[in-house]
Amino acid sequence: MVDARDSRPRPSVRRVGDNLRNVISNARVAWYAIVSGANDYWAIFTLKSWIFGWCVRMISQVSFFALIGKLLRSDAQTQFLLIGNAVVIAAAASTFAMFMTTSERGNGTLSLLLASPSRPVVVFAARGVYVMADGVFSSLLGLFILGPAFGLHFPFPRVLLVIPLTLLVGASAYCFSTFLAGVILRYREITGLVVNATIVTLMALCGVNVPVSFYPTWLEWISRCLPITNGLEAIRDVIDGAAWSTIAAHTGAELLVASVWLSLALTTFGIFMRAGQRDGSLEYAS
Amino acid sequence: MRAFLAGARIQLRFFRAYPDGLIPFFTAPMFSIIFQMIFRHAGRRDLTAYAAIAPVFIALWWLALFNSGWTITTERWNGTIEMLVAAPSSFATVIFGRITTTTLVGVVSFGETWGVARLIFGTKVSIHHVWPFVATVVVTLAAMAGTAVAMASLFVLARNATTFSNSASFPFYVLGGILVPVSVLPHWIRPLSSAVFLSWSADLLRAALRPTAMHEFAFRLGMVALLGACGLAIGVWSMRVILVRVRASGELGTT
Repeated sequence: MVDARDSRPRPSVRRVGDNLRNVISNARVAWYAIVSGANDYWAIFTLKSWIFGWCVRMISQVSFFALIGKLLRSDAQTQFLLIGNAVVIAAAASTFAMFMTTSERGNGTLSLLLASPSRPVVVFAARGVYVMADGVFSSLLGLFILGPAFGLHFPFPRVLLVIPLTLLVGASAYCFSTFLAGVILRYREITGLVVNATIVTLMALCGVNVPVSFYPTWLEWISRCLPITNGLEAIRDVIDGAAWSTIAAHTGAELLVASVWLSLALTTFGIFMRAGQRDGSLEYAS
Repeated sequence: MRAFLAGARIQLRFFRAYPDGLIPFFTAPMFSIIFQMIFRHAGRRDLTAYAAIAPVFIALWWLALFNSGWTITTERWNGTIEMLVAAPSSFATVIFGRITTTTLVGVVSFGETWGVARLIFGTKVSIHHVWPFVATVVVTLAAMAGTAVAMASLFVLARNATTFSNSASFPFYVLGGILVPVSVLPHWIRPLSSAVFLSWSADLLRAALRPTAMHEFAFRLGMVALLGACGLAIGVWSMRVILVRVRASGELGTT
């Protein structure tokens, strides 16, 4: 038994309930990070600017690509492009979340975060969840508003599966984006460059605008390891009325990809951060 | 002229210091790949000209919206606008020097886009009407710079400038018919497109890449010039209004 008045350092002893306490404390930190991120987001957008700014842009983006199908005079192409580019909105917004994580440095709050006893990666992983949720909502809005306008028929009730699948695509891209946020944490000045280049690269490589089978085999393999690809195929399968086993296989693959990117993000974030601390490249208010 | 060149020099230094300004030079080749893939997959190699032109407009518009459009605002954020206004050289000339440089740098995207198309897809972009093409590029760049001056001034006045610049990309790509010609858009939207100079210049550039004869070239080029001049006029007028207003209220660097 340890005397409470004994001032000597105590050996670290794990107690029953420590794990539970950790989980609760991480959940609390994550919740505060989400709320903080949401407040940041609504400082940028009001409801009016969200509708007339973001929504108009999103509808235009999906229409821009769907109209290519009209130019090609092909309904199948129109619908393929529409679905792909509506779903990619969820992934693009999740990638925008990279701005939320690196903004900790710009705001000068990174030093406080590093000094706190909680794990910074929990904050970084939760900070942009709100952006991802907004992206998923926008993506579904685009799909269900523009789909009928471009002659796309949604098979009910199976089309409801598109909702969790879009969420999965958004979450998967968010895991990937959190990993990239760790990589570029020390290079805040290129965040915009990385975010934009990542989004366009994902649009090119993830079967958004052409089927994955169009790529050379080596590129198809890379594509399957990226977020979006498998989840988007599952969404196309649902709308096209494909067999449940095919949908399940694509969904499973997207889940696997998301888990791998999340694990990578969790394991490498600390390494990138400590490297930045060691060489002093994590300036706290740039 | 010296003030104009000073603006140009400082803008080039900004490109070196802030790599984010180079975003379109990374995204334009990727858009080129995306459009080329779509047309190849559909077996429509005849639409190569469309895929070659659109990414250039995306790059130029991005530069106008995010680099040029924020020129005055960043001067304020950097705390240099007071010195710029107080200096004996013309404020507008320095700003125009910066904006012109940004617009001219955008020409690089032509080479990039067409180079990527050639390298990856073996697509050769041929200019069938060289002089009309060159004239359209020059007038388009001037119109882009004029529009950017308008944005740079209006962004200082507008409270939602960030939201506008984040949102004004794809709506203008659709209205401007940079990839899908305006003739494919619904009828009700076409009058709006006519007021966007991008629609006239995109049509002209695509026509210059096709072997068939170009019709009403002078009129269409004139429309690009006219709409660009309107943008410049709005920009110069609002810049004057801003300067008068903030000098009178003493809020030059803070509003």
